[in-house]
Amino acid sequence: MTPMIRNVVLPLAALVALALVPIFVIDSYTRHLFIIAFIYAIIASNWNLSLGQCGVFNFGHLTFFGVGVYTAAILAKTAGVNPLLAIVAGGITAPIVAFLMAAPVARLKGIYVVLVTFAFSQLVMQLVLSQSQITGGAEGMVRIPYLEIGDYSFIRDYKLGYYYLCLGLLVVSTIFLILIARSPFGKSLKAVRDAEDYAVSRGISVSRQRVLALVLSAIFTGVAGGFYAIYLRVASPEVFGFGTLTLALSMLLIGGVGTTYGPIVAALAISFATESLAGIRGFEEARFIVIAVAMILVLRLAPEGILGLFRRLTG
Amino acid sequence: MIDTLFATLVSGLVLGSLYALMASGLSVVWTTLGVFNFAHGALMMIGAFLAWTLVEPAGLPLPVGILCGALGAAALGIVIERLLVRPYYGNRNMLLITVMTTLAAMIILEKSAQMIWGARLKQLPRLIDDEISIASATISAHEAVMIVLAPLVLAAIWAFTVRTNIGRSLRAVGQNQDSAALIGINVPFAFALAFGISAALAGLTGALLGSIRFITPSMGADPLTKAMIVVIFGGLGSLGATAGAAYLIGVIEAILVLWLGLYWTPFVLFLIMIVVLVFRPNGIFGGNQ
Repeated sequence: MTPMIRNVVLPLAALVALALVPIFVIDSYTRHLFIIAFIYAIIASNWNLSLGQCGVFNFGHLTFFGVGVYTAAILAKTAGVNPLLAIVAGGITAPIVAFLMAAPVARLKGIYVVLVTFAFSQLVMQLVLSQSQITGGAEGMVRIPYLEIGDYSFIRDYKLGYYYLCLGLLVVSTIFLILIARSPFGKSLKAVRDAEDYAVSRGISVSRQRVLALVLSAIFTGVAGGFYAIYLRVASPEVFGFGTLTLALSMLLIGGVGTTYGPIVAALAISFATESLAGIRGFEEARFIVIAVAMILVLRLAPEGILGLFRRLTG
Repeated sequence: MIDTLFATLVSGLVLGSLYALMASGLSVVWTTLGVFNFAHGALMMIGAFLAWTLVEPAGLPLPVGILCGALGAAALGIVIERLLVRPYYGNRNMLLITVMTTLAAMIILEKSAQMIWGARLKQLPRLIDDEISIASATISAHEAVMIVLAPLVLAAIWAFTVRTNIGRSLRAVGQNQDSAALIGINVPFAFALAFGISAALAGLTGALLGSIRFITPSMGADPLTKAMIVVIFGGLGSLGATAGAAYLIGVIEAILVLWLGLYWTPFVLFLIMIVVLVFRPNGIFGGNQ
């Protein structure tokens, strides 16, 4: 495959195919699966910006998603803000929280980055659980206002509005990530990851690039969180849990850390796989075991991800 | 006032014992292998469930249950080392990869426990069903046993790593694997041993904790998070520093709970941790390397 086909033709063809899906798929459950898959694709591909491109051992990425979820939920339900604006607000609060987390992380190395980012996500979950008069505590929030423009509710026509809104978010997020990866800034992130000493000697501030990578990776993750809250009309502290974390991490790993399209392809595949496993009786919990085993196998057999394996096989 | 302070100090000691047992297990694996085991909390949970199974449905005495809980967790720890950690020795990205594989192990253990033992809350009986009053503070005898047992176990492990040849070989492997192999130390055995000891500590903690807290598949999450704060605070380098930090965090937490209430305590703990990290990236007792 030439780079032209791989980087331009294939993604565009995939986009056209996804845009045509609602013509052929008219049951709202399958469309729901696509929407959830798009959300995970946004989470995983943005996580790749900090973990894959910049090499920050960030295990608190789902915090940004959770902050987006609760921002939109609280704004739309408690403050009565227009749901569309509430979704966008998730893209503002999440980067702020990312900055708070990044400030101490930027100077740390190795395992301490993992520990602090991880502890940070637990801390935000504690905050959500303890402030139950605002967040609903362990029960979460329900009956969040739904999205409508004029008289048209996005849930109508088998979730047609939500489908295209979410696909649009994924496209904008992906273009954003590709522009970053190709910019001098994106290249400096890779330099920080691969040759820190050389990057420093060329005048790149490692701390600043790490903070920027974390903050930028939180923007669309937060928006996706806001969309998730408005679309499902619930917000629950489960979004901070190990289940969501492992799911997103498996997409990143199986798709290939360091690639932009890999996590997106993996997110689509894994979302459908887990949902169909969840449909089998007795597999509601076991599907997480299946995912964890798949993650271990990929780390063992194809560390560069399925897409990398495919590329190696096709030369 | 003095009474309240004393009671707080005692409850801080209970927490400190719990954190010391958990965090020292993490420290043993870290100093020997350079691996941070995210499944440590899940191994603790498995220890509690195994003890419960032997004591409640099977009717064995509680000390037997606790011992088997620790041994069962140790066996699982060795399996985790063999399957999920050993293949990546020498890999450039070993630290990151083992974080992910042990995270996957944690999910597998937690979800398996949920499928095997179900969601119903379980609890072990107490070692001694009595209460002890020290001056003005009253605690259960079980908690008193934990306060006494934790330093003894830690001292035993310290003596093992300093006084015995096998124990010293663990430290040698931690310092330089190649040299250790050259002087005839069986490096893979040392790795498995470190993981086994660490997991046994986790299983023991879980079985002891199962009498004063509910046993659930996710019971390991909170002690793991606290143990992380402890190792960040104390540095991962040495057993003594980790144990010291565990008691310090336990007492600070007890004081914070008294002063600010349960909700704000995790925040302040986290803030303290950040301040420590900014000024001393290797922990309060850590060196400056």
